[in-house]
Amino acid sequence: MSSAEPVRTPTRLLGSRIPYIEGPLKVSGRATYTDDLRRPGMLVGRLLRSPHAHARLRSIDVSAARAMPGVHAVLTGDRYPTPFGVLPITHDETALAVGKARYIGDIVAAVAADDELTAERALAAIRVEYDLLPEYTDTHGGLVPVAEPIHARVKDGSNVQKEVLQHFGDVEAAFAGAAERVHVHGRYAGVNHGFTEPLVTLADATPDGRLTVWSATQVPHYLHRTLHEVLGLPMHRIRVVKPEVGGGFGGKSDPLPHEVICAALSLETGRPVKILCDREETFYTNHGRHPTENDVRIAFDAEGRIRAYDIDALIEGGAWSSFGTVTTYYNGVLSMGPYKVPNFRYRGRRVYTNKPPNGAMRAHGGTNIRHSVETAIDIAAERFGIDPFDLRDRNALPPNSTTVNDFRITSTSFRRCLSEARRASGWDGKFRRLPYGRGIGLGCGFYISGSNSPIHFTPKMPQCTVHLKVDMDGGIAVHCMQADIGQGSNTLMAAIVAEVVGVDLDRVHVIPVDTDVSPVDIGSYSSRVTFMMGNATRKAAESLRDQLLKATSRVTGHPVERLRVATERYEVAHRPEVGLSYLEALHAAMETQGALVATGAYSSPPMGGTFKGARAGTAPAYSFAAYVAEVEVDPETGVYRPERMWAAFDCGRPLNRLAVEGQIQGSIHMGLGQFMGEAMDYRGARLMNPALLDYKIPMPQQMPEIEILLVGDDDPEGPFGAKEAGEGPLIATLPAMGNAIYDAVGVRCVELPLTPDKLLRGIERREAEGRAWKGH
Amino acid sequence: MHLDPFELHRPATVDEAVEMARRHAGAFDFLAGGTDLLPNYKMHLNLRPHVIALEGIRELEEHGVERIGAMTRLAEVEGDAALAAAYPGLLEAVREVATPLVRASATVGGNLLLETRCFFFNQSEFWRHSLGYCLKADGDRCHVVPQKEKCYATFSGDLAPVFLTLDARVELAGPEGRREIPLAEMYDAHGDGIHRTKLRPGEILCGVRLPPGARSWRTTYRKLRLRPSFDFPELGVAAAARFDGDRVAEARVAIGGLETYPTSYPSETAALAGERLTEAAARAVGERIRAKVRPVRNTAIAPDYRKKMAAVFVRRALLALSGGAAA
Amino acid sequence: MAWTPLRFRVNGHPREIPCPPERILLDLLREDLELTGTKRGCDLGTCGCCAVLIDGRPTLSCLTLARLAEGREVTTIEGVSPPQGLSPLQRAFVEHGATQCGFCTPGFVIAATALLRDHPRPSRAEVERAVAGNLCRCTGYTKIVEAILATAEGR
Ligand SMILES: Cc1cc2nc3c(=O)[nH]c(=O)nc-3n(C[C@H](O)[C@H](O)[C@H](O)COP(=O)(O)OP(=O)(O)OC[C@H]3O[C@@H](n4cnc5c(N)ncnc54)[C@H](O)[C@@H]3O)c2cc1C
Ligand code: SF4
Ligand code: FES
Ligand code: FES
Repeated sequence: MSSAEPVRTPTRLLGSRIPYIEGPLKVSGRATYTDDLRRPGMLVGRLLRSPHAHARLRSIDVSAARAMPGVHAVLTGDRYPTPFGVLPITHDETALAVGKARYIGDIVAAVAADDELTAERALAAIRVEYDLLPEYTDTHGGLVPVAEPIHARVKDGSNVQKEVLQHFGDVEAAFAGAAERVHVHGRYAGVNHGFTEPLVTLADATPDGRLTVWSATQVPHYLHRTLHEVLGLPMHRIRVVKPEVGGGFGGKSDPLPHEVICAALSLETGRPVKILCDREETFYTNHGRHPTENDVRIAFDAEGRIRAYDIDALIEGGAWSSFGTVTTYYNGVLSMGPYKVPNFRYRGRRVYTNKPPNGAMRAHGGTNIRHSVETAIDIAAERFGIDPFDLRDRNALPPNSTTVNDFRITSTSFRRCLSEARRASGWDGKFRRLPYGRGIGLGCGFYISGSNSPIHFTPKMPQCTVHLKVDMDGGIAVHCMQADIGQGSNTLMAAIVAEVVGVDLDRVHVIPVDTDVSPVDIGSYSSRVTFMMGNATRKAAESLRDQLLKATSRVTGHPVERLRVATERYEVAHRPEVGLSYLEALHAAMETQGALVATGAYSSPPMGGTFKGARAGTAPAYSFAAYVAEVEVDPETGVYRPERMWAAFDCGRPLNRLAVEGQIQGSIHMGLGQFMGEAMDYRGARLMNPALLDYKIPMPQQMPEIEILLVGDDDPEGPFGAKEAGEGPLIATLPAMGNAIYDAVGVRCVELPLTPDKLLRGIERREAEGRAWKGH
Repeated sequence: MHLDPFELHRPATVDEAVEMARRHAGAFDFLAGGTDLLPNYKMHLNLRPHVIALEGIRELEEHGVERIGAMTRLAEVEGDAALAAAYPGLLEAVREVATPLVRASATVGGNLLLETRCFFFNQSEFWRHSLGYCLKADGDRCHVVPQKEKCYATFSGDLAPVFLTLDARVELAGPEGRREIPLAEMYDAHGDGIHRTKLRPGEILCGVRLPPGARSWRTTYRKLRLRPSFDFPELGVAAAARFDGDRVAEARVAIGGLETYPTSYPSETAALAGERLTEAAARAVGERIRAKVRPVRNTAIAPDYRKKMAAVFVRRALLALSGGAAA
Repeated sequence: MAWTPLRFRVNGHPREIPCPPERILLDLLREDLELTGTKRGCDLGTCGCCAVLIDGRPTLSCLTLARLAEGREVTTIEGVSPPQGLSPLQRAFVEHGATQCGFCTPGFVIAATALLRDHPRPSRAEVERAVAGNLCRCTGYTKIVEAILATAEGR
């Protein structure tokens, strides 16, 4: 079982606090983002959006717009109608609306003009005639056949985009024989990524037949494919470049319509075109976390051991599929850890509505379901009279085990997460002992460290490839299509190279993502980059190191096995004075072949079951978390504040502590946002708050004091033992808060966001029911 | 996001500004710090072809304990130790306005004359077009209280309630000359809600005058909102009192963020005079005010909650004045 | 429409540039002067990415008419950075991991530069208040506040 101290293998650089290599550029305003780029002769692209939520496009008259001086192109949906989408199985999006508009903000036309003002006048001159169709704005109504399904390709004329039914073991029997059954009905508003850099793309189609696209994207490779599919250009004539990206969190992972349109406008005009979406458009593009309603039922035996989960999730898709099929699986299967669940039944349904599409957002598919499950476990602990820590410890998934749906669990330090969070938070002196209005709560988390299943299977290729090139100057150029969007993956890639090759960090240059030169990595999502890119980088670096060691061996006459890597030097292990400096070794190695190149790749090992959907949620490793939150509630107003949080997290080995801490702090902030106030606030089909003023991202004063406890053992397959820390750290935030508020005022928080008015209503309801809490 | 073209005027004196206003009657806006006007312009809300910038007019920028020029920046109020010492409630309110970056530009005058706000109004041209324009800009109906005459947009300035409790007066200058009126009379309590003040066409707010007695009042301000910065008040309660020994000589409460104009509640607070400011007395005032306020559903937080909180905030603000702990 | 060119100082240098009345300072800086370090996050005063110093005062350039900068000194992120290397504050941002995606960072650096100039030893609460007009979606603010406090302690 887990010992007190995590198991770690020693390293020189990795594991320390490594400032971001591009930090100096970012703090001085010299980092270049897409909107900072301009090209000679650049035109301004602008989008005409549908004011109606569901409407057939009877006619679009662009003649007046086209005739305006300064207008270079006007596009409508018929020009590039090929459907696309991030998942090959659900291509239901088009760059511009074809036939009908499906949400307020759906793009119906686009113009390229000399300047902003002309472009806007041109948009105003476009005449669109709409035939209004019935609007579908709630999921329940979309479960049955409807008059005008939002998409043709749906089940039985309803708006159901995807239904998942899974059953493992015998749930009926488990519930029948259960000593305790808990039910939670959770309701979650949609939330948006809220990255600070709005969506933006610049495209330049040049007379040599090539198209270059710079875009704020976190998955350059999928954008590359989509441009090829929709525009009909061969991939090798398209070049996608990713400048610095001002945050993504999933919102820049789908290929997005404005990206395709921007490229199309450039092709049409033969001129560079930039489309910068404003904040409102960025909100309409959305692809944020799905609004969800779920029912979680858990059966326990008399000892408090989980016997079964029975879960139903009703997920609002918005107008398109996006990642939705994955979401529909994840809302079930990501409940399979960190506890042992011997019987499991799940029904997930994702329903189209006439609203902006929902997609993947940080801790995709694992957040809302986790909040419901952890609330249910807290309820169970109370009913059993068992401490919430003890109940969870009793149910922890052991390392090297398999879940009932065939997830392969390798490393887990979940039980250490529990013990450390308990100790650090002073739990035993606080739980149910703090005065009325103060509370402490525990929530746990579980997330994939990279999806084992890449979205595209053709051609068959590794999930990540890394190339290194060193010439006589000694600088090591690293090429890879992994997308650093602020999470620090460039820094990590450089650090891994420096660690393995034994050179100083500043020798390593990470070449910005450019599909012309970067080998494919499938991008920044599913918290996969550290694990997959890390392993690929390590392999590439080892290959380079081996070339340098071989040269050292040749020069010194000592066999490679006797050599070791020191700092900027390769030396004989038992005679350290004999050896070559890095540059000497490099130059020796170059004598015959010139510049050195090395390559490394990562493919996840085979795993998972054989049933339909078995791959969903399989990952080469999983992260685990136990968070404790301490809150203060003003019971008279419902206003509350998280005061402290203890975040015990198993990310395997933290390779860059600075980055891991930053990911955890940022995740907690984002989780708190969803808990406390962020919501895509719709009235009918209409988004009421497409603005940062009304979309309530928390401020510094709302942040708790956070203590981070990195307690994971090295993972056997992760690079240097690492797993993920980019998304999983968000999840436990929500239930820790909810359970803390329950401890404070006796109100269960199952409808998020929990604004003060809602909490006050809960307190009043409890009082009206005559249910006293801590003497109140 | 660009602005549509307009002509910009930069008068050097109040008289010049008034003259320009007269010349462009009905076709101009005054621009103070611009933190309210420019976002509205960016959203194409009631654009005018002329903009008269008040920045640089000395008379409007001077500030002291008796008079605060309309162009005084909120950041300057924050940094003015004498003002802060004289009117702690004003400082509390100023510090709660918007964000420090906004307060660097935002002015006292602009705050008092802030355009009223509504979920259906503070939206882009596209958004409003999509739903159908409303009474307050370009349309002929109200989406909050469906009818065709009156707008219920909310007055969301933080400073007005405090100034009201201090019995402040405002100096105005216009084509018809200068005048001084109580701040309370500047807001149009019986209007259509669209033209939110009783300023005459072309009138400039020059400054706020505080009566000499104001310094002997204790003041405080309580603001309800979801985040401790950025957010406009969903309820802003100012309370002020003068004490005679341990008894209240006089007490006032004024509230913003709930209705179309900031409101004082003299009859609801009258009973406090001559009494000890007890928990029960404060509670009674809160309940009386709660019964009177009529917020509508046009902001982020539900009106019934804001109403309920009016009672709580009033009670707490009053008790804070008495020096007792805010219970 | 005859307007005189706008005359003001940018990052210590006098500039003279055509500028229509409705031009917003942020647009002028980014589009006309190519000072792209100042970021556009919302255009409506709600993120702080566009903050610059006007006569030393941290101000939102997206809510400022460029013509009102006439005769004033505008300092952008490019101007608070020394010609070589980084300011102690900037260095602290790097070392403390206070910048992740970096898009909010220029705005924070501007706000914090003014804070530390006026209050060399701010408390944590003062720091949090001073940057409460800047939104960061990546860091949770913790490391930003730490970097500013560390800079104050370091001098
Ligand atoms: C993100 C954000 C958050 C905000 N949060 C708050 C908040 O929490 N609380 C709050 O109170 N405000 C808030 N505001 C609004 C605004 O910043 C302040 O109210 C500010 O004080 C307005 O002053 P100003 O000088 O910028 O006004 P301006 O925009 O210049 O003017 C506002 C209006 O008053 C008129 N006007 C201004 N001065 C005069 C004068 N002297 N004579 C005649 N007419 C005049 C203008 O024509 C205009 O109609 C916020 C703004 C933003 C952008
Ligand atoms: S209250 Fe009615 S009229 Fe006034 S702004 Fe709102 S919707 Fe328009
Ligand atoms: S761009 Fe100016 S505050 Fe957001
Ligand atoms: S570092 Fe990304 S928004 Fe602050």
